[in-house]
Amino acid sequence: MLDLRLLEPCSLQSSLAACADPQVLGAAPPTFKLPAVADLDGFQKAAVQMVKPAKGTTTLAFVFKHGVIVAADSRASMGNYISSQTVKKILEINRYLLGTMAGGAADCQFWQRNLGTRCRLHELANKRRISVAGASKLLANTLYSYRGMGLSMGTMIAGWDESGPGLYYVDSEGGRVEGKCFSVGSGSTYAYGVLDTGFRFDMTVDEAVELARRAIYHATFRDGASGGVASVYYVGPQGFKKMSGDDVGELHYKYYPVPEATVEAEMEDVTTS
Amino acid sequence: MSITSYNGSALIAMVGKNCFAIASDRRLGVQFQTIATDFQRIFEIHETLYVGLSGLATDVQTMYQRLKFRHKLYNLREERNMRPETFASLVSAMLYEKRFGPYFCEPIIAGLNEDGTPFICTTDLIGAKQLSKDFVVSGTASESLYGACESMYKPNLEPEELFETISQALLSSVDRDCISGWGGIVHVVSADQVITRTLKGRMD
Repeated sequence: MLDLRLLEPCSLQSSLAACADPQVLGAAPPTFKLPAVADLDGFQKAAVQMVKPAKGTTTLAFVFKHGVIVAADSRASMGNYISSQTVKKILEINRYLLGTMAGGAADCQFWQRNLGTRCRLHELANKRRISVAGASKLLANTLYSYRGMGLSMGTMIAGWDESGPGLYYVDSEGGRVEGKCFSVGSGSTYAYGVLDTGFRFDMTVDEAVELARRAIYHATFRDGASGGVASVYYVGPQGFKKMSGDDVGELHYKYYPVPEATVEAEMEDVTTS
Repeated sequence: MSITSYNGSALIAMVGKNCFAIASDRRLGVQFQTIATDFQRIFEIHETLYVGLSGLATDVQTMYQRLKFRHKLYNLREERNMRPETFASLVSAMLYEKRFGPYFCEPIIAGLNEDGTPFICTTDLIGAKQLSKDFVVSGTASESLYGACESMYKPNLEPEELFETISQALLSSVDRDCISGWGGIVHVVSADQVITRTLKGRMD
């Protein structure tokens, strides 16, 4: 069990004050005081175990002729308990950059919002938008500096920049990989199966959106830790657009409708006069 | 992961007016992966006696086969069907025989006495019987199931109302559990008929 008495109010305030200082914000990643505990390793292990159960999810992204498609489910599970069916796993970093959430929800939300801040500062300093490669590198470097401290994130950064569509996978171990097709989470294997079968580079936007929706649906069917709503976003030259958010329970009966049982007509008694 | 939550299951039995209902989910999984959506957990022992088994799927099937065998033998010897209380004692005894290497299943027994009054009970994995006047639940979603049943149950429901109540309780509980659900099946048993219906639930 974590001993949270160590996080005293006075130390929290001083680190908040440091974060608010405009010179500190953006120059380097925010600094956090380490807990003043005798066994730091043990404390970190306990912290990791507390966050760990949260990697049940299915997220996917792929590049095709017209841009990037990003899709995800919306279930949060703590062990076997479904804690929410309405979690937003596709985070809008800015108008043309999307990030996905897998792993610790707090980690993903905080660091991707932080990434949005740093991207905006880059725009102001350089008078041009940051590239997807640059944005993903900023995030990867930040995560690398926290390597081993128990952050849990498996995120994809997808966007559109001057060189066209971009897609990178960044994780909390500090890894960063460029690619054309990724799926992350416990349901990723099922999504890959559908994605790899149906993928063609020159699909139309609608076909690509339907492929992503199907892949997420099939993952939610087979994986217990995925479910809820299948959200699909498209990122093109004009930025991102949310294409659909369908409840997976209803999608099942749309793709596999229950055949109407033929009702046998009862023979009416013919009255003989 | 615990051995009783390896396959995932959810079961309810409820008492109505001169009838009972027994319902289960239909998923068979291996931890988070769903293997089948038509797994049978509720078995008929005779026309007015049903047993539902939750827990490890292999033990569900083995327990059913052993119970069916013992009841058939009883039938041949006594030339009549077993009464529900007797069957419950049989289940309890068979489970306690394996006290130090138990079957990882928690049965629910539901039947109609000779006078038409319903009987339900559940046992734990080593045979502790627990009789109940209103409802019994079992499975990985048991905490949600207790909550749902406690709030939705009313005594003396007619068969159709009982069907609605037990279905809603089952579906709302399995929608909060990752490893049970994927459909449902309900048997409502009265003295003269058995109505069996499958439930259209969320398949995620």
